[in-house]
This record gives sequence, structure tokens and C-alpha cells, in this order.
Amino acid sequence: MDLFSELFDMFDGFDMFSSPYVQKSAQKDNKVCPVCGRSWADFNKTGKFGCGECYKTFAAGAAQVLRQVHSSAEHAGKIPSKSSAGIKVKRRLEELRRQLKEAVAKEDYETAAKLHSEIKSIEGGVSL
Amino acid sequence: MIWYNDLNDGIIVSSRIRLARNIDKTPFPAALNSKDKEKVSKKLRASIFESNSTLSGDFELYDLDKLSRKEKISMLEEHLISPQMVDGSGHSVLVNKNKTMSIMFMEEDHIRLQVIMGGYCLDEAFDLADKVDDVIEESLTYAFDEKFGYLTACPTNAGTGLRASVMMHLPALTMTGNISRIIQSVSGMGIAVRGLYGEGTEAEGCMYQISNQITMGLTEKEIIEKVKAVVNKLSEMESQARKSLKENHSLELEDKVYRAYGILKYARSIASAEAKSLLSDVMLGQNMGIIKCDGKMTPIELMVKTAPSVIAAGKDLDPAARDKARAELIRENI
Ligand SMILES: [Zn+2]
Repeated sequence: MDLFSELFDMFDGFDMFSSPYVQKSAQKDNKVCPVCGRSWADFNKTGKFGCGECYKTFAAGAAQVLRQVHSSAEHAGKIPSKSSAGIKVKRRLEELRRQLKEAVAKEDYETAAKLHSEIKSIEGGVSL
Repeated sequence: MIWYNDLNDGIIVSSRIRLARNIDKTPFPAALNSKDKEKVSKKLRASIFESNSTLSGDFELYDLDKLSRKEKISMLEEHLISPQMVDGSGHSVLVNKNKTMSIMFMEEDHIRLQVIMGGYCLDEAFDLADKVDDVIEESLTYAFDEKFGYLTACPTNAGTGLRASVMMHLPALTMTGNISRIIQSVSGMGIAVRGLYGEGTEAEGCMYQISNQITMGLTEKEIIEKVKAVVNKLSEMESQARKSLKENHSLELEDKVYRAYGILKYARSIASAEAKSLLSDVMLGQNMGIIKCDGKMTPIELMVKTAPSVIAAGKDLDPAARDKARAELIRENI
């Protein structure tokens, strides 16, 4: 994750700033997509990306636009089977860590211990 | 069975699922020149169709550049291709035998997989689309990002790439004037209500398309449940409105339906908007048991087949000639 996207994650809670001002500043460099040759200015003109790689090239800007359209920039749906194994494990870990945090907050230490050992066993099984 | 021949209570006309997919490390169709477009299109067809026995057994391939405008229009009226595929170039489409599924190549995205069925069956349609999506993926690598999901030309489709839509006939809610208030209230829920042919089209003939606007941050099942919740509510309200029309305005309703039928049965020239609105009245009458039509086509089928572009079918007809042709088609088939 680069500095820009981290900054914009911070601003995400302030919806009144999700105006053109933020959208403009989200992507101010002159980067060009290595696959399709399009720039961020091209996206602003057409509202369409030139290829899948654009989402990586202009990650901060893309995340900003996606949040404006969908109120989220995090895919929660299907994962293609070719890239699924690693991502599924990662998602499961995120979910377990979230539950662990909740359990600790509720002082439910028995559940927390169980979750903790499950996390450990998954982390032991794959290299991430 | 093609969607407009399979009607149940007449409130929910059809269900449609569309998945937008692109291949990895390849510019989207709009970013390709026509030569490269041809190359990508060939590669897609080869890897999906020719090498895949599951698909080649059940699907037929149509190269739209080799079809007449008339043939393309008829695929459009069956909702097997999109309006922009009628006029553009470099498009092709795979259609299955019973015309419930089409896989469109080189539309806005490399691949648009669509399942359309008569009646209310979003879950069934999604399961089918999901399976075919897996089969297609065996032959190629999708443009997919762990965080952003399936990557599409337009950010409004990114994430799941899913558009779930249900076409509804809502004449009673339209007549009682409740529909505009309802449309406003659901738009805040990430659900869009549009006309028969999608974005920017008017809800002629009281036909409305209910679909999700949000494609990211929710699972496919959650998106479908959201659409279904709105469809169920609308369906309930429409039934209620029909019941109250029958109880309080029975004679006016019967009169409206039979007058509509009378005009459609005998008119010599009829404009598109009038035809749709009268066909809608007859359809309502039929669904409420007021009238029985035994013509060759159902009112909804006539509605589809008398749209201006379908009537003209590529011929250079002026509006007067179109209105005459439309009246003839309806007279013979209603
Ligand atoms: Zn690009």
C-alpha cells in the first residue's frame, strides 16, 4: 500500500471532503499505465479505465472513485479459482483477527484463546 | 424458453444476471484499435469456445460483423445483445440453445456473461452464470485484483461485476401515481429503477427494470438479496393496488381494458408510445382475469416486437410507415 492510499483511507470517514477537490488530489502524478498507455487525465475525461492494470497504476485514485460510487473499495465477493487459495486464507485470517479483537473487547477470553490458536495454526500452514 | 413467453402472475416478467469480466494484461475494447480488437476477439473465441467442450456443445457462435442489421435487431429484442453491439464492429456473441444465456465479446468489457429467464428466478440465474463463469475461467486468466475484485472498464461495475435485474410490470402503481415516490425512496438504497431497455430509457408500457447499482463491498448473494427485497415489496404493493382497483373502480378498469383491446384490434396506424400503453392495459386485464386474448402473440411479446427500431428492422421506414406496420402486426397477432 502506498502513502497516498493510506492517507485516503484516513480521510474516508470525512464524507464532506469526497468532493472534486479530493478526487483531483488523489492522483496528481503524470504516471502512464504500462499496459494501455492511458493516464489519470484520460480516466477523468472518459470515466472509463483502459485496462485492468490501470487499477494498480492509479490505485489511490481508483480507490477514491470506487468509494464514491459504491461506498466501498473492498471487494467482498467471488474470487477466481486460479488466485483463490492464497486470498481465501488471507480473508479467513482477517475475519478471525476481527473476531479475536471483538472477543478481547468483550473479555471473552475463552473464545479469544480458541481464535488465537486457530490463527496460529493457519499462519503456520502457509507462507504469506 | 425465451423470457417473454414464460409469464406467471404478470407482475414479474423476467430475471437477468450479468457478469462483467476482462482478461489479464490486455487493454479493454475501447482502448484497442480495430486491428488489435480483432486479435483479442479471435483469442477469446479460440480459448473459450474452440477449446472448451462444455461450451462448444451447447452454444452457437455469432460473428455480429457477418450478420444483417435485421438479425442483430432481433437478437437485441430478445435481449441477447446490447444496443451498442447493433451498430459497433468487432462484436461476437455465444448463445445457448434455449436462448437463456449469452456470452458477449468485446462490448465495453472483454466478456459479458448474461443469463435471462422468464419469471422470478434471480438465484437460479445467478447459479447458472456462476458455473459458466468457472468454465470460462479454465481457459484464461481474468483481470482480478485482491482488493478491487474483478476489474472492469467502468468503475460502476468493478468488484463483483454483477448486475442483477428484474423486469416488472407495474400498471396499477403507475395509474395510482405511487410509482414516482417509490422510485425515489429506493434510489437511496443503491437500487435503480429504469425503463425496459435499461439506462436512460423511459418506463413505457409500465415496464420497469429493478437492478443493483452497487457492485462492490457486498457479496454476490447479498447484492441479489437487496434487489429481491425491493422486488418483493414492489410486487406486494402492485398486488394491493390491483386489488383496490378491482374493488373500487371495477367498471372503469374493465372499460379501460376493453377499449385498449378494441383500438389495438382495429387501428390502422399507431405510434409506439400509444401501442405500449394500450398493450400494458390489455396485459393488466389479462392478468386480472378481465379479458382473454387468444392471438398468436402475448401483449408483452407484441410490446417487444413493435419498438421503433424493431419495426424498422434496418429498413429506412419513415414514422408514418412504421406506425402503419406496427398497427398491422398488432392486428394480426393480438
Ligand atoms: Zn491501463
